[in-house]
Amino acid sequence: MKLGKRWLPAHILVWSYAVLLIVPLYYFLASAFKTNDEIFAHPFALPTSFGFGNFRTAFDSADLGLAVVNSTLVTVFALVLTLGLALPAAFALARSTGRLASVMEKVFSLGFLIPTFAALFPTFLLAAATGLFHTRTFMVLFLPATAMPLSVVILVQFMRTIPKEMEEAARMDGASTFAVLRHVYIPMCMPGIATVLLLNFLTFWNEYLYSLVIIGPDPAQRTVQVALPTLKSITGTDYGVLTAGTVLTLVPVWVVYTVLQKRMQQALVSGAVKM
Amino acid sequence: MRSPLTRRGFLAAGTGLTAATALPALSGCSALAAADSDPDTLVVHSQLGTTAPGSPTYLASLDRFREENPGLKVKNLVNGDDLAQVYETSRLARKEPDVVMVNLYDKTLAWTDVGATVDVKDYLDDWGLRERVLPVALDAWTDGKGRLRAFPYFATNWPVAYNRSLLDKAGVDEIPVTGDQLIAAARKLRAKGIGPVTTGGNDWTGQKLLAQIIQTFLSENEARHVYSTGDFSGSRGAKEGIDYFVALRDAGVFVDKAQGLTSDLMTTQYNTQSAAIQSAMSSALAKVPESVARHTDVGGWPLAEGAAHELPTILRTYTLIGFWISPNGTKKIDAVEKFLRFMYRPDTVSRFIKESGRDMALRSSTVSTDFPLVAAAQRLGDDVSQVLLPDVYVPPAATQPLITATSTSFTRGTPATKVRTALEAAYHSA
Repeated sequence: MKLGKRWLPAHILVWSYAVLLIVPLYYFLASAFKTNDEIFAHPFALPTSFGFGNFRTAFDSADLGLAVVNSTLVTVFALVLTLGLALPAAFALARSTGRLASVMEKVFSLGFLIPTFAALFPTFLLAAATGLFHTRTFMVLFLPATAMPLSVVILVQFMRTIPKEMEEAARMDGASTFAVLRHVYIPMCMPGIATVLLLNFLTFWNEYLYSLVIIGPDPAQRTVQVALPTLKSITGTDYGVLTAGTVLTLVPVWVVYTVLQKRMQQALVSGAVKM
Repeated sequence: MRSPLTRRGFLAAGTGLTAATALPALSGCSALAAADSDPDTLVVHSQLGTTAPGSPTYLASLDRFREENPGLKVKNLVNGDDLAQVYETSRLARKEPDVVMVNLYDKTLAWTDVGATVDVKDYLDDWGLRERVLPVALDAWTDGKGRLRAFPYFATNWPVAYNRSLLDKAGVDEIPVTGDQLIAAARKLRAKGIGPVTTGGNDWTGQKLLAQIIQTFLSENEARHVYSTGDFSGSRGAKEGIDYFVALRDAGVFVDKAQGLTSDLMTTQYNTQSAAIQSAMSSALAKVPESVARHTDVGGWPLAEGAAHELPTILRTYTLIGFWISPNGTKKIDAVEKFLRFMYRPDTVSRFIKESGRDMALRSSTVSTDFPLVAAAQRLGDDVSQVLLPDVYVPPAATQPLITATSTSFTRGTPATKVRTALEAAYHSA
């Protein structure tokens, strides 16, 4: 296909944008193989060696292996719980037409108004009062609570796009309300579920403040976001080791994004057409 | 229509979810709940354990302690700058660790007073460890009510490091000892594209350097008064010190954008030879690469005419890291005693000096051989004057506002009056 001149500005913009993304990513990856001297003397040069010394140091000294396992446990269980609560809630709200449902939907939306930091102290008190302070369980229960507003709002919008006839047909076949959710709404909302999963995965995986305060610094329990800053030293950080550690913690994010991105793109496209 | 999700599958998922939620709870109980419930586990909360200077020695010492005390488990919790915040929330939940290793600064200044940690004076005497500690360190760790806040451990010299090679390259023959010489050296360095004095103008390193320069015209007592009250305008010496700082700053003595730098970037700039001078504590000096260290001289901060000191100044502190005992720790005081006795043993102390180049607040005849700059700083002795480290006199609530005021102070063009106002405002907002 031959491209005309009118495509040129678009190409320039796209490539400029790509460079804007690639340059910091390259700098970040290259730094993971360098010493401090190399990073500061020749920031954009290729590493002189591709040894995994920095990765080994980061992995061993911050105990990143265990931290990744802890983050995975917290994130996966919190995601499962989020979906387990958000799907029925969204299903009920999407199908209801009464005033109460409308009020309930607005109540969920109110969740956006609570600043994360403002909830820290009450959350800490709750954790202490329930005896779940310094446990990952509290975070598994707490994170879905923070994610419910966004998850429900997104899923309600997806479920409202499903034609009522689909449910009516299922009802004719004798399907219960639960079966309608299971066999009609969930399969048809997969792009929306993928969106919710991806957005919440990123939020849960990257959560720092609450994990630091609630779970604490115990290497047996701390998440990767709490473990990583221990590589920073007030008297001279080894940035090669720090970036190597950061790369290691980003691998799961990259894997999940790769797996879910098609679904998410599908979700965005379908949203664009339907809504 | 068939969905892959059957009722049985859904129930299985629900059961799995329940189990999954319960699993971390169980493992959680066995992990940190042990901190305050298991009498055979001593929980130590420390800034050592990953890449901080002294970490490998500390971890090796812990291993040795475990070998010598097979019935006693030791759990080491590690945090960086956020240690104080994490400890305080743990204490609020009554799940704090037994021993905390942290410096006397900012939040920790209030710990003994509010009961977050206990007075350790009696323990020090009962365990016969008083003679091991330098008297000056005991004074530094004792509060106004005579309570010993913690067992002193790490100290530090805080000299000024000069990269002689870079100074030579710029045509600076002598290490500057006066403000005028420093300004002249800075100009020559800048002409060669070399940064002069690097400092973390946006954190505690800049705050310390600013305090050091302000004290150029202050006696120790005056400095104590000024930093306790924040009365920078009421002290003639403080006003002259601020004027001196402003004159140096506006003459280009500090690297560009110093007001935005942190300690991290400061040490990096010096260690990578993009800046020629830094005011650095001995743990930072220990991490200066050998290629830079062999061209480095340590000395004091240059004086202005009419200064209150005879010789260029350095900072010294004995409050770098101490062992604090928590209320939970008093319930396991036998284990704490074993740990403290071990850490105070001459062979353990020597390891920190020899292997990690740490300055200690304890008596020791061991000299650091692998860390020449640390040893050189120790040898400075009376060749320099010493100014006060203001940390223990600044009210805890003013510490962070002072950092903000420091950044304002390092911003070029800020007049001396505005610097004074910013410093005083830090105390008023506290």
